Amino acid sequence: MAQTGEQEANLKAAFIYNFTKYIDWGNYNNENFVIGVMGKAPIVESLKQIAKTNLVNNQRIEIKVYNRPSEIGKCDILFIPKENRFSLKSILDRTGKGVLTISEQPEFAKEGTAFNFVIINDKLKFEANLKAISSAGLKAGSQLLKLAIIVD
Amino acid sequence: MFKFRDISIRNKLILMQVFTSVLVLFVVFGVFIYTDINSYKVRKKDSIVSLANVIGTNSISTLQFQDQEAATKMLAELHNVAPEIIHAGITDANGQVFASYSKPGEETFKIPRVLNGKAYVFINNQLFVSNPIMNNDQILGRVFLEIELSDLQQIKEYKYELAAVLLSFAIVFSFLIALLIQSYISRRLLQLVKTMKKVGKTGDYNKIITDDGKDEIATLIQVFNKLMQQIKENIEKKDQFIGIASHELKTPLTSIKGYVEMLDLMQTEPQKKQFIQKALSNVNKLERLVKDLLDVSKIQSGQLQLEMQEFNIDSLLNETIESVEMVSPTHKIIRTNDCDNQLIIGDRQRIEQVLLNLLSNAIKYSPGENLIEVECEKTEKELIIKIRDFGIGIAKEEQLNIFERFYRTKDLSMHISGFGLGLYICRDIIRRHYGKIWVESTGKGSVFHFSLPIKHSLQTQQTVV
Repeated sequence: MAQTGEQEANLKAAFIYNFTKYIDWGNYNNENFVIGVMGKAPIVESLKQIAKTNLVNNQRIEIKVYNRPSEIGKCDILFIPKENRFSLKSILDRTGKGVLTISEQPEFAKEGTAFNFVIINDKLKFEANLKAISSAGLKAGSQLLKLAIIVD
Repeated sequence: MFKFRDISIRNKLILMQVFTSVLVLFVVFGVFIYTDINSYKVRKKDSIVSLANVIGTNSISTLQFQDQEAATKMLAELHNVAPEIIHAGITDANGQVFASYSKPGEETFKIPRVLNGKAYVFINNQLFVSNPIMNNDQILGRVFLEIELSDLQQIKEYKYELAAVLLSFAIVFSFLIALLIQSYISRRLLQLVKTMKKVGKTGDYNKIITDDGKDEIATLIQVFNKLMQQIKENIEKKDQFIGIASHELKTPLTSIKGYVEMLDLMQTEPQKKQFIQKALSNVNKLERLVKDLLDVSKIQSGQLQLEMQEFNIDSLLNETIESVEMVSPTHKIIRTNDCDNQLIIGDRQRIEQVLLNLLSNAIKYSPGENLIEVECEKTEKELIIKIRDFGIGIAKEEQLNIFERFYRTKDLSMHISGFGLGLYICRDIIRRHYGKIWVESTGKGSVFHFSLPIKHSLQTQQTVV
């Protein structure tokens, strides 16, 4: 998969959007569906493109960029791009219940993010940490999990 | 060539009924088999379409996350679920093959062109199904399935076999039923035909057919009976007339004959005597004809009486031959054997009449020949006299008819005078003597036989009668 960085970002953004179809956040309020991104990354543009034309649970999608962990506010998904310099722990400490954490660095799923993108055989796959998903108070659909590489 | 109109009514009726029932059954079976196979196809199509739906639903996430491996793995499991699947395939939103499965031994999957936008299509024994994969009104791709309907062929064969067996049963049954029913119509017609043939053959117009029906056949039978009645009456009138006419003719003829005979005795002038004798010979001829008519009339009315007496057949034969030879000098009549002076009980004059008739016939029908043979054959019970000529013979189809009244040969090359009554009278006379008369004939002449019972067997026969 000789993809340019932009194509890879688009694909990951699409995956993130598709995750929302299989994740049950439980309680819905009337606010926007917030996807937070830790730091600047190409995926922000891709997510913004999706947000223009798609809804999640009939809510508009809002993209927020947090420059440091202390900025992390209320969000439904927190994406931790590989450009992130802050320690994972400092980030996870700031995320509470109802936040789906998605990363893209090896071993991150084992260390506590719910989903983690990996490239296997030139194909984009994702790891899932079931403990992290349930401790975040979320439910993941079986159709999603059957495609995931389950870690711990 | 086979022609429908040549078959008998009986067989026509049977054929019609069998044909009708077979035709109806053919249509019924055809419709049944058609709907049966159709409903099988519909059921199969429905189940395959729902299978395609399930596959589609299960493929949504694999398409969303572009996991071809998972999709291929899922399709491979179809082998266990539905072994009749030959090919299965999933295409993505762009119509590119995303994942596919082919039954081992089959070619690799290709998007079936035969569908051409349709949801399903049957080709031969294969079913092609295409089902969209939908997620929230968004088409993510399509599922294609190609199914081998291996049991369809079996079902068809089974149905055809069943239909064939039932049809054969139906043919047998309808034939049997037709056989029973046809007799109601054809029996009466056939009876009428049979009676008509019999009447045509025997000339017995007393046959009346009873029939209590009211249909056209009954009318036909009534008309037939009426015709028979009319014919009978006409024959009776004719017989009466012949009786009266021959009687009335005979009286003046006898007196003419007497006077001419007297004239013959009195006349000495050669020229006149010759004329008188010509007249006398014609009177004799006329007398014979009138006598024949009178005999026939007597036979018809049952008034022919036999004067039974015992006589020597040899002397009768000799006398008769002598008198015939006197009148017909052209032929020599030879007795090949004698009859041991066998005594016969019968009407000597009538037997002489038979002999005269047969001998003069033999002479009449063998012009240009000069020999007639008379032979005697004696068995234990009867004496058979055979009179053989070497003339033209009698055609096979005429041999039975020559003993009928007024029968004249159809051979127009012969001009024979007379009423055609001689053999009829002969047959009656011989029958009254409990004998038989028949002819055997080839192209080289005819042999007339008649048999007379010998004394002792006649007595036993008379007691039996």
